[in-house]
Amino acid sequence: MFRKTRLALLASAIAVSLLAAAPAAAKLRVAASTQDLASIAASVGGDQVEVFAIARPTSDPHRVEALPSYMVQVSRARLFLKVGLGLDRWADAIVDGSRNPKLTIVDCSAGVSVLEKPTGKVDASQGDVHPFGNPHYWLDPRNGAIAARTVAEALAQADPANAAGYRSRAEAFARDAQATWERNAARAKALPSRTLFTYHRSWSYLADAFGLEIVDTVEPFPGIPPTAKHLAELVEQAKARGVKLLLQEPYFASDAGRFLEREAGVRPVVQTTSCAEPVAGSYLKHFDEILGALEGVRP
Amino acid sequence: MRRVFACAALVLVLTPANRAHAQGNPDISLIGQPFVSWTDDPASTARKRPVFDVGEIELVFDAALNPYARGWVTLAFADGEAGVEEGYLSLLRGLPAGIVLKGGKYRVGFGKFNPMHPHQVPFAERFGVLAAYLPGEEAFNETGVDLSYRLPLPTSWSVTASADVLQGDSFRVPREPSAAPNDPLAQDPEGGDRASEPRAAWVGRLAAFAPVGDRSGVELGFNATQGTNNVAAAARTLVLGGDVKAKLWTGPNAYLLVQGEYVALDRDDATWDETAGRYALAGFKGSGGYLYADFNWDRRYNVGASAETFEDPTVGGERQSAFGLFAGLALMEETTAFRIDWRRIQPAASPGGPDPEPIQQLTLRAIFSMGPHKAHQF
Repeated sequence: MFRKTRLALLASAIAVSLLAAAPAAAKLRVAASTQDLASIAASVGGDQVEVFAIARPTSDPHRVEALPSYMVQVSRARLFLKVGLGLDRWADAIVDGSRNPKLTIVDCSAGVSVLEKPTGKVDASQGDVHPFGNPHYWLDPRNGAIAARTVAEALAQADPANAAGYRSRAEAFARDAQATWERNAARAKALPSRTLFTYHRSWSYLADAFGLEIVDTVEPFPGIPPTAKHLAELVEQAKARGVKLLLQEPYFASDAGRFLEREAGVRPVVQTTSCAEPVAGSYLKHFDEILGALEGVRP
Repeated sequence: MRRVFACAALVLVLTPANRAHAQGNPDISLIGQPFVSWTDDPASTARKRPVFDVGEIELVFDAALNPYARGWVTLAFADGEAGVEEGYLSLLRGLPAGIVLKGGKYRVGFGKFNPMHPHQVPFAERFGVLAAYLPGEEAFNETGVDLSYRLPLPTSWSVTASADVLQGDSFRVPREPSAAPNDPLAQDPEGGDRASEPRAAWVGRLAAFAPVGDRSGVELGFNATQGTNNVAAAARTLVLGGDVKAKLWTGPNAYLLVQGEYVALDRDDATWDETAGRYALAGFKGSGGYLYADFNWDRRYNVGASAETFEDPTVGGERQSAFGLFAGLALMEETTAFRIDWRRIQPAASPGGPDPEPIQQLTLRAIFSMGPHKAHQF
């Protein structure tokens, strides 16, 4: 009797878990490499989508470990939004591990004007160079608008019934992105100093968008920590060019920044390159936060 | 030599001719691991003298074959020999219920350590318990087919069940011929025990991964494998195992990795009974395990310690144990790394004999990798 009851309970538990694991029909699930792409997808998808991001803003988007739990989440998605340009090669392992035959991969770098495309031979003697160019394009809100249109087309293909909604929300997003760019470009013009160092070449698109000049990077080569000689050169450059600002990500060591502050009065400003939440509005709000942080530095 | 030429020809065929064709070519990585080692093992001809060795060089090719499948080939060059260490394809999509099929020659997914290549671990030698209990000389590496299935759970936990059918050749244990004239091995030293006859082996694994926070996680696994170690005597080897791996991030660039395995061996040992004129089976049952902890920080540095203990089947099940310390420096991730490890091994005593002197080993390895960065898998 008890055995039969136990078997029935076990069968019910398995059935419940199988039903619970079945994809929800109502919302289209979208996975994204970063919270920025997830936020853009949330803006474009509206109530029709459910988004999920893998890389967290406080960790390096170049280096993400392919956890089985990510594969499980991607197994339930219909779209996977990749940054592309070689930044998130790790996503391939997650996509393969997801075992999801219905997944469509969307490279959100499509249509973006890529900066810092290497010319000539590229090899590891130049550090961790991206052979297709700088992949941090989302740090220009105008590129966010391009990505939004790419996402809208992918959503429209996956869910034709709501295509018009996706496209109109992408256009609304593009207008907001333009307004964000104009507003923050004006703020950048008013900055007391518009020359800066960055730790990594993550901020090239931001500088390009808002008229800032990156004098040098703390890394002598991409992905290579600074040497004492290179830091000494940065001190000389800071004094010669009046650089008072270092923009760096929270996952890089802070000792180089402290050294530059002590030796040349360069103030480190720690900002994430990704927005705080994978929700609508967070991506564009991030530009206001970055410019606000730069405004807070007084030479 | 023929194998060397075959491998060289394969390399020439697969090496990209120019960038225009890069889309269709596989990713190619070359990994070298030269080392210098020192030991005070009295049985070593290099006792208390440094040994410089180029080590094993791996050439790895991998690529998507089509939207559904991916292929991997690892060629290994060591001691003037070349061979196919792994060569398999995986059908990743398209099979019912999300089943993944892998077929070819591969490091068998028994536990967490066996599937890893030597350059992926922070110490030079694999654990003695795995060398003593798992089939195969350098690793449990076989030709076969693997099917794996991920249970559809409503959480982000990953629970995967896998089953392999293998050729089973790596289970064979060579038997010393007895003095008996009717011993088949005395009559036919090559084929007396019918070692070349195929006998399929099987492997099963159940693994559960649970995320801890955003980036950390814990995995538990249970493994079993059985094969035939002597075909003529129908002697079998059964290995059961359990493993745990935890990776806990303590900061943006710092984590602690703890990994351990418990393995139990139940093996028939075939002997020849001259009087009865047939095989006799004696049994060995033993168990053991290892545990190591590895702390990594600033993307460049790591330190750790390891310990293991097991009942050694070569000396009647007496216990062997070892303790080790290791440290590493990576200039830029896996492109260039230096690893040093020290191990103190207390060999098992012969039954009734005195405890042997402990053996110390020191190894310094340089690991270099040319080729694209690969995703780090848990």
